[in-house]
Amino acid sequence: MVAGSVGGEADIHFDTVKVSVSPDSWVDVHTKARDDLDLVFFSWLSAIHWSNDVQAGDSLNEEVDERFEVLTTVGDLTEGRRVTFSTRLPIDSPSIASLVGVYTGADWHERETYEMFGIVFEGHPNLVHLYLPESFIGNPLRKSYPLLSREVKPWPGTVDVEAMPEKPEAPEEPSTENPEA
Amino acid sequence: MSDENTQDQAGGETDTFDLWVAGTEEPQFQPTDEGRQEISEHESEDRLAAQFGRVVEDDYVFDEDADDDERMIVNMGPQHPSTHGVLRLQIELEGEIIRRTRPIIGYLHTGMEKTAEQLNYAQGPTNVTRMDYLSPLHEELAYSLAVERLLGVEVPPRAAAIRILMTELNRISSHLVALATNGLDIGALSMMIYGFREREAILAFFEKATGLRMNHNYIRPGGVAADLPPGWKDDVAAILKEMPVRLQEYDDLLKENPVWLSRTRDVGIIQAEEAIAYSITGPPLRASGVDWDIRKVFPYSGIDQYEFDVPLGERGDVYDRYRVKVEEIEESLKIVEQVMDSMPKGNYRIDDRKITPPPRARIDESMEALIHHFKLFTEGFKVPAGETYVAVESPRGELGCYLVADGGPMPWRMHTRAPSFYNLQGLPIAMADSLVADTVATIASMDPVMGDVDR
Repeated sequence: MVAGSVGGEADIHFDTVKVSVSPDSWVDVHTKARDDLDLVFFSWLSAIHWSNDVQAGDSLNEEVDERFEVLTTVGDLTEGRRVTFSTRLPIDSPSIASLVGVYTGADWHERETYEMFGIVFEGHPNLVHLYLPESFIGNPLRKSYPLLSREVKPWPGTVDVEAMPEKPEAPEEPSTENPEA
Repeated sequence: MSDENTQDQAGGETDTFDLWVAGTEEPQFQPTDEGRQEISEHESEDRLAAQFGRVVEDDYVFDEDADDDERMIVNMGPQHPSTHGVLRLQIELEGEIIRRTRPIIGYLHTGMEKTAEQLNYAQGPTNVTRMDYLSPLHEELAYSLAVERLLGVEVPPRAAAIRILMTELNRISSHLVALATNGLDIGALSMMIYGFREREAILAFFEKATGLRMNHNYIRPGGVAADLPPGWKDDVAAILKEMPVRLQEYDDLLKENPVWLSRTRDVGIIQAEEAIAYSITGPPLRASGVDWDIRKVFPYSGIDQYEFDVPLGERGDVYDRYRVKVEEIEESLKIVEQVMDSMPKGNYRIDDRKITPPPRARIDESMEALIHHFKLFTEGFKVPAGETYVAVESPRGELGCYLVADGGPMPWRMHTRAPSFYNLQGLPIAMADSLVADTVATIASMDPVMGDVDR
């Protein structure tokens, strides 16, 4: 029903209704959702980096088209209808229109997605870093960005790099064995 | 940070840690600088409009010619006791009136969404429980429900009931901290001591059941980590007996206290439309009169079997948010009592050795159990490819977990919808045109947990 009225493809994943739309109609779709379908509540916005070059975490089992997927979830505040909108963006210079004009609550999440994935939200009134310092270079949630702290030091327990506390590496007391024996 | 400052640091000409003795020449302290994230004296109309929001009617006209004496930008935090963690606020004042507020966040950002991509599904709850440290069990629950939905499994009734029991107790302990700190910030010091005293009883029970006072890692995909300890009914019954008496004490102390009323009534008002536009959820949304509770609309873990009401406010001010929290404690007590009386018998986790580890005794007897145990704790279990969004009602609002699985033992992407993140985003609305003295009352009433905001 939602897909028909906004012009996209609907897909149901484990109780989550996901509607794929084109990036050009991004703002129109959300305006329609808010005004015609009464989905006034903006739940969240984020992105997924579909990539074959993975520096942190597991690789995918099959090759995928390299792309960004931008997701929003909106709902109503009466019956509990909830829809996830999704669109795909190219891997090179991804950009999409900002939703701040439709849902004010998208403001910080667009800034977060901008700094974490490098996706530009055109028309955002204040597209600057949210969590990271202004001087930070890189987009940490891209799959090509390594988790540096784990490169420097592996997960505790993965490799026992340190000596056990009970057994110091070099024995302090002189050996009781006769060296000439 | 600007180039100038970087050069200064590299040159080592100024040392910010020098002690300064009064009467001598002041050293050049370097202020915290977040560049364009900070509030600016000269901002474009667009940026101002964004700060005021779509639905906020504000007659404040940005006056470029205003005298510096009339307009002042005051910094607060990130190290400030009343900002509940490392929140930094910049406030533009005109005399005593707050005109604009800008929260600057990220001082506690630890990249937990990135970390989640490197942990398998069994390790996931250890990570998410550290987000909202006042309601860790809700974080674990949202994550576990998402994993279970992708796996297509249903936990046994006893596991679901234990989850509800623990999360509702967690709601009480979290609201007690909110009330205590709200009291502390306004000057009701007794409230602070009372709130932490009662919270201690609940934390003691958590420690008995889970082994830890916070960051429990108790609710896991497939059930809970351990069955409730022997004698749990007595402990819960003691809490149920104690709390109503204590709640009455709080009411005697605050409910009609003229000082409390004058500090909280009609302070930091958020209208219903504003709350919806800024995606505010939880007690701040319900205090504005919007009847929206995830527990009622998207029931999880069988919470729809229990009877409880959703307390609502009318005006959306600090007082209403305080009342909603107190009444939610009463409702949670009702739920806890019903769960205690109807606790089903059975297993506390699903009996699928591909997901939950075998009992310790079985490992000595059965080769198969040993293999399952080894596989679970080295590789972890695999979750079929798919994606889902699951939300639970945390003490701060809609806490959601969006989980994308790629068929392997680790999530491809995990995104958390953190309620404090949105509640804090709406803080400038609550503070606009109020008095500077009401700042801390308003912050405390929104109950932000910086671990949840920054993740």
